[in-house]
Amino acid sequence: MKHILIIEDEILIQQSLKKLFERKGLKVDVSASGKIAIDLILAHNYDRIICDLMLQDISGFDVIEESKQRYTLEQIGQKFVIMTAYNSPQVLSRANSYQCKLLNKPFDNLDEALRIMTE
Amino acid sequence: MENRYNSPNQAPTKLLAIHIDPQILVDLPTLSIDPDVFCCVLPSEAQFNLLKKNSRLWAQFPDGEFCDFPYYIKNIISLLQSFKSYSQTLVYPVDTFQSFIKSTQAIEKKIFSNVSMTPGENVKDLWDEIIKKVNIISTESHTLKGLVEKILEVPFLKNFQTSLIILHLKGQTKAELMGTMWRNEHVHSLVGVKDFNMFFNSIRKSKIKSFSTESFPKVNLPFNGNFLSKEVTSKKYSLIAIVSRHDFLNYSNEEIELFETCIDLLQPHFERLIDQEFSDKNISELRICLKDFPLPLRIRDGQSGSSFMNDLYRNELQDQDIFFNKKIKGAFSLDLYDSDELRHYAFDLFHFQRISLLGELLNTLRHELSNPLFGLKLGSQIFTTIEVPADDKDIMREIEKNVDRCQSIIENFSNLYQIQPGNEPVFLNKMINESLVLAKSEIREISKKISYAVGTENIQLNVPLIFVVQVFFNLIVNAAQAMRSQSERGELTIQVSINESNVHIDISDNGLGIQDDKIVNLFKPFFTTKSQGTGLGLVLSRNLALKMGGNLEYIPNQYKKGACFRVILPIT
Repeated sequence: MKHILIIEDEILIQQSLKKLFERKGLKVDVSASGKIAIDLILAHNYDRIICDLMLQDISGFDVIEESKQRYTLEQIGQKFVIMTAYNSPQVLSRANSYQCKLLNKPFDNLDEALRIMTE
Repeated sequence: MENRYNSPNQAPTKLLAIHIDPQILVDLPTLSIDPDVFCCVLPSEAQFNLLKKNSRLWAQFPDGEFCDFPYYIKNIISLLQSFKSYSQTLVYPVDTFQSFIKSTQAIEKKIFSNVSMTPGENVKDLWDEIIKKVNIISTESHTLKGLVEKILEVPFLKNFQTSLIILHLKGQTKAELMGTMWRNEHVHSLVGVKDFNMFFNSIRKSKIKSFSTESFPKVNLPFNGNFLSKEVTSKKYSLIAIVSRHDFLNYSNEEIELFETCIDLLQPHFERLIDQEFSDKNISELRICLKDFPLPLRIRDGQSGSSFMNDLYRNELQDQDIFFNKKIKGAFSLDLYDSDELRHYAFDLFHFQRISLLGELLNTLRHELSNPLFGLKLGSQIFTTIEVPADDKDIMREIEKNVDRCQSIIENFSNLYQIQPGNEPVFLNKMINESLVLAKSEIREISKKISYAVGTENIQLNVPLIFVVQVFFNLIVNAAQAMRSQSERGELTIQVSINESNVHIDISDNGLGIQDDKIVNLFKPFFTTKSQGTGLGLVLSRNLALKMGGNLEYIPNQYKKGACFRVILPIT
């Protein structure tokens, strides 16, 4: 685990996570926009993509769909970690269909959340 | 002729030629003119004429002589009956008959012989009275139900307790029972069409028209005892009229006849009202749906002038009692009448609407606040893990704690009407202090006096901390705002005392106080005197207090000017 992309439009969350990951010695890219994130994903080979669902321009699910250009469904399940404050049944079942991890905001336990995001 | 006179069993060959006014024919039950006795002819050929003139019944003979009687069906029938019986026994040749028939006294005697009245009572007067009353009640009644109830006003029904009809409109699966019991209790229920038909046929076939409720268990009549009954039928409906004294005594022949005549007289009015109220199938359906509606209600049809009232509607209700009027559709409009129930329901309804709106707003707010609060928390957590001076670290921890509290407050608010939080004992003084800390910016430069009565300093309460703090916070902020604009130094007083199983927390200020006329509205939603107020603070606070088994009251401030609110919380 070396290179991480954080897609999050709430700057305080985005920057805080960036700082926390950098302290663990990881290289971190960030994006507040879903569209820019897609370009980044297609241009780099990230080990982990942490993606908020409610972005300003497009949804996190759109980002995942676009990533299919580069990654197989299995790879998507391994690379993406979804963050959301709205864990409705619809969101849960769609997230499940990608087989990726899901984290609820706010985190109940920060260390535990960081472990899940980086393992 | 002599022959025939001597053999009474043999029917007369010659029919009596009569002319009956078409106006009378309309009112007469069919078959009352026996074709074996009478033949109907034109006035010029008739041996006698029966005419209706100014509500009187006139009998006219070929020589031009008249006699008149009160106009009612019973009299016409009796007259025809008496002609018939005399024609069979005595009246041949024709002129003998005519001379007899002219003896009006004899006819009158015959007519009223069936109605044996108590001696001295003026028979004609009673009949006139009955007819007069029937006319009055039929013009006074604007609904079928009203007419049925008024039947008991007819003189000979003085001792009767119940008047009902069961109405079945052709094609409907249910018949409607309506009327009055004990002269003041409205009844309205539905009867299955099978049971109705069985009942109807029994009444139609019976000669005596006096029955016992025991014979008809399936109809479920709302009283016990004997009753008089008469069936009425037309193209559109079948109807059974019922009156009862609620006892088990048999009815006399006179009563039976009077009742039958009464219903005969009322039939055209039944017809008119049924047409008016029940002609529209949709309205009939509506009646059935709304009959149990728990408030007095009327639906008016502006076009036909007819209206529908449900069971709770009472005749005394006036237009000024209308609490709510709404045009529904077309010419229909709905009236709801003022009543305690309505006020109760209306308040609940408005309250519910406001609260659900509030719930939605809070839910949105929670989602909107959730992200920035999470950001704040993450940001402050970064500083707790790195090397910074201990003071700064404390500040960061405080930020984190406050973020948690904000998160918790907003969640509690939005869950206010769903959650049942588990209570853990909390120190009251801790909750007061926390509230003061939260309201710190509002109560700057205001002096604070907190006093605990003996035994309350370390009291613990089994209530959710977040609720109590919210209530205290609201009251403290209100107090602070009330004192803000005054030149005098603000003074916030919090006094804790015990009253039986409750603890009282009185929060008072020395501001301008609350004007007497505003006190009644204090706890009403959206009532506010502040330019920026929501009018929800006190409502929510009181609801929170009530949820905890306590209350929130405004109490007169005994010691100084200003307002005082008392939070009451249970000690157990």
